[in-house]
Amino acid sequence: MSATTAPIPSNDGGRASWLPRLISAFSGTTGLAVKLALLSAGNGLAVWAIVTLLAKHQWIAVAVLVAATALIDLLYFGGARTVPAKFLIPGVVLLLGFQVVPIVYTVAVSFTNYSTGHVIGKQDAIKQIEITTLQPPENGKAYTMAVAHDASGRLVLLLQDQLSGKTFVGTQKGLTPAAPGLIHASGGVIESAKGYTILHGLALFDLDKTLQTYVVPVGKAGIRPQSTTTAVELQPTLRYDAKRGVFVRLADGAVFRDNRKGSFVHGQEELEPGWKTGVGFANFSSIIHDPLVRSPFISVFIWTFGFAGGTVLLSFALGLFLAITLNKKGMRFQRTYRSILIIPWAVPGFLSLLVWGGLLNDKFGVVNRIFHISIPWLFDANWAKVSCILVSAWLTTPYFFVVSLGALQAIPEELTEAARVDGGGPFQIFRRVTLPLLLVTTAPLLIASFAFNFNNFGNIYFLTNGGPFTGNSSIAGATDILISYTYKLAIAGGKGQNYGLASAITIIIFFIIAGISAISFSRTKVLEEVV
Amino acid sequence: MKSRTRLIALLVVVVAGMFAAFAGSVHAAKSAGATLTIWTDQNRKDAVTTVANAWAAKNPGVTVNVVAIQNFTDQRDKLGTVDVSAAPDIITAAHDWTGQLAANGLVEPIYLSAAVKKQFPAYTLNAFSYGTAIKKLYGVPTQIENIGLVVNTKLVKVPTTFAQLESEALAYKKAHHAAVGIAVQQGSGGDAYHMYPFFSGLGGYVFGVNSAGNLDPSNIGVASKTLLAHASLVDKWNKEGLINSAVDGSTAQSLFLKKQAAFWITGPWNSQLLEQSGLKFKVIQVPKIIDNAVPFLGVQGFMVTKWAGVHGVDALAQDFVANYATTPSAQVSLALADGRYPANTTAGKQVTDPVLAEFGKAGVGGVPMPNIPQMNSVWGGLGAAWVKATKGSGATKAATAFKSAAHAIAEAIG
Repeated sequence: MSATTAPIPSNDGGRASWLPRLISAFSGTTGLAVKLALLSAGNGLAVWAIVTLLAKHQWIAVAVLVAATALIDLLYFGGARTVPAKFLIPGVVLLLGFQVVPIVYTVAVSFTNYSTGHVIGKQDAIKQIEITTLQPPENGKAYTMAVAHDASGRLVLLLQDQLSGKTFVGTQKGLTPAAPGLIHASGGVIESAKGYTILHGLALFDLDKTLQTYVVPVGKAGIRPQSTTTAVELQPTLRYDAKRGVFVRLADGAVFRDNRKGSFVHGQEELEPGWKTGVGFANFSSIIHDPLVRSPFISVFIWTFGFAGGTVLLSFALGLFLAITLNKKGMRFQRTYRSILIIPWAVPGFLSLLVWGGLLNDKFGVVNRIFHISIPWLFDANWAKVSCILVSAWLTTPYFFVVSLGALQAIPEELTEAARVDGGGPFQIFRRVTLPLLLVTTAPLLIASFAFNFNNFGNIYFLTNGGPFTGNSSIAGATDILISYTYKLAIAGGKGQNYGLASAITIIIFFIIAGISAISFSRTKVLEEVV
Repeated sequence: MKSRTRLIALLVVVVAGMFAAFAGSVHAAKSAGATLTIWTDQNRKDAVTTVANAWAAKNPGVTVNVVAIQNFTDQRDKLGTVDVSAAPDIITAAHDWTGQLAANGLVEPIYLSAAVKKQFPAYTLNAFSYGTAIKKLYGVPTQIENIGLVVNTKLVKVPTTFAQLESEALAYKKAHHAAVGIAVQQGSGGDAYHMYPFFSGLGGYVFGVNSAGNLDPSNIGVASKTLLAHASLVDKWNKEGLINSAVDGSTAQSLFLKKQAAFWITGPWNSQLLEQSGLKFKVIQVPKIIDNAVPFLGVQGFMVTKWAGVHGVDALAQDFVANYATTPSAQVSLALADGRYPANTTAGKQVTDPVLAEFGKAGVGGVPMPNIPQMNSVWGGLGAAWVKATKGSGATKAATAFKSAAHAIAEAIG
């Protein structure tokens, strides 16, 4: 709120009165109307959701939703006793929606094999395997097709062999050659047939699900409708034995069994697609046992600490230095300097990162050209690390500049004054008086900034994308931090897109950050006791 | 509030809620009839809509709902998690998604008639085919694209041999104190796609083919014998400054447009830019090195998703994709809308744009990007090998770089 735009009343008495008036406006009839409207909208949404969930047989979700809606309704009509709850509910709902649900989902995924080849459910997978293992038999025929009702209203397929031009009538019992002249076809379209009503338009389109399972048996193979006007002869190569829950290959009788990891397998052979299923702690144990995951993990882990720590320390030091410099009394153009220093903060981060990527290019970059140096900023493992920290610090410094400036101004001058009278030098005063007082307010922000940079995916992704690649890993580059490494592991390892494994690593990262934060916050309490 | 008022208020709220829900369900029930949902991206939305509506006009009762997904590849990534009600029946896809989507069980096989198959180059159909045991066609090709060598004909002669290209590029570099001879994009992240002509020209390949004709992820040719035998050429190019990995996408473009390089390796997506630049140019295939220096080929097309069956529009979706989108007229309008070359050969003959036609020729003999999901493990490692080998001073020997890349890729595939 700035003084020029906000309607701030002229005296303090007026300022105190508008807020209660606003609140009281909501306690009367207007308030009741607003409350009823909001609750009605909420209930409407809930009823709609319940109807939708019922249609999908999500019983647990329905129960939870009904209970929650009823609870909210009761609370908001509960009178004075439920006032605290009225204020808590919106926050709790948002917390559940934006924090708890994603966490629960991530944990749930980490115990599954959700990855390429394991995306759909088992029933769907069985259906897909049956469809995709159909094969045209030798000299398999393709037909032009029309769907029709015969005289007694039964569904039949009128077929014309696309090569020979011979015509047939197909039913689920079998294929019979049509009498000459019965079926009229021209230009690849079956136009009419005596004694049959050909279905067109919606009458035909509505039969889609029936046609998907309609097979005209021809020996071992069958003619199946493909599009609205064509059919093709296909032969199954696998048979699903629903009783035993296995696939049997017809050619050699090989049995493909459920391997309990979401696939039907026979020795080394695996049927695709597999399905999504629980695999217990398999993802977690592969972090420890799979050399592909484990070997880069340690170095990535150390560098992540270096990156987050380096960025925070450097940007805090720079920000504090600038704040002290610009906090000097009687300095001219103080506001201008301060505004300029905040610019990096005002530009969208990813833009700055892409620009920096260009500036640091070792052959064409401005940085090397201006200074007449040839430092491989992005192409050498160690220099790339330096670049990452420098650029991240450049982005974060304005934040610490603003924070430090505020904190500095909050330190009473009497304290530094007194220290000077006691004979303390400027450095001593800074170390013994200013810095400890400053840290009381900024330490939690330092921790937060560390946690943020620990997971600063954007900076790495846009600046180096983890590169350069130096070691023998095809996945982790020299500047990959844990979160970007996780991302690459999820999309670039094996068959790609291993969400289960990525979720497992994410959970480990969560514990690391939670641990660091907990320890650091307990340390900052010690700082507070100093004062 | 008295308890009676409270009760009445509660009643009002509940009833109002019921009404809202009722109104919602009535609205939902209206959408009867057959609706076909097609996903595409913003660039192609108009062309796809035009073609799909022309098809729908022949099928009274069918409405087509074309949805533009922000990012082209988002179509692939969202297909597994999308809700049934919002799921597409058809997507516009790149051929290299085939393996992943088929392995996930999200797309349906397509059977083309012999007459239709004849109208497409075999590799375009092969590019959309996948199967570990039984190979199936999962997409209908509509457009093809590939990179080529763009030559500034005012500055240099069009080379016919690689030695000529090398000497022309280096002479120009020397005369203009330029940084590189050929502008080909890499950057610190690497770009195996744009480097592929050099890779194939030196005898490298990504995956071999097994006896069943399928790509074999255990046969990796990133460090093939021919490639290793001639890898010293890469070291020579690096020393001469013919190519350099510091050149990234935007640098490569500006080098060529500002005449700091007379050769640029890029694709038809830049043909408009080239035509507007006022430069005189010709697009050719990179001349033969040891083998033909062919580019990767990208094929784009339509796929029918498993949702078509769930929505009960399977036959319609198949009709649009297999019988209509394959026709020359549909192919021409789809291809020209985004500056690519149509896959249908009859449609290809109708393309009069000289630049597109030159790019088409530059792709002759090219290799479709591998469409098996294991390809995900290759891009990073192969790109990195080129970066290491061509980063100017301090570069790794190419033979070493490719050997370690081959090792890392094999390990990543597992």
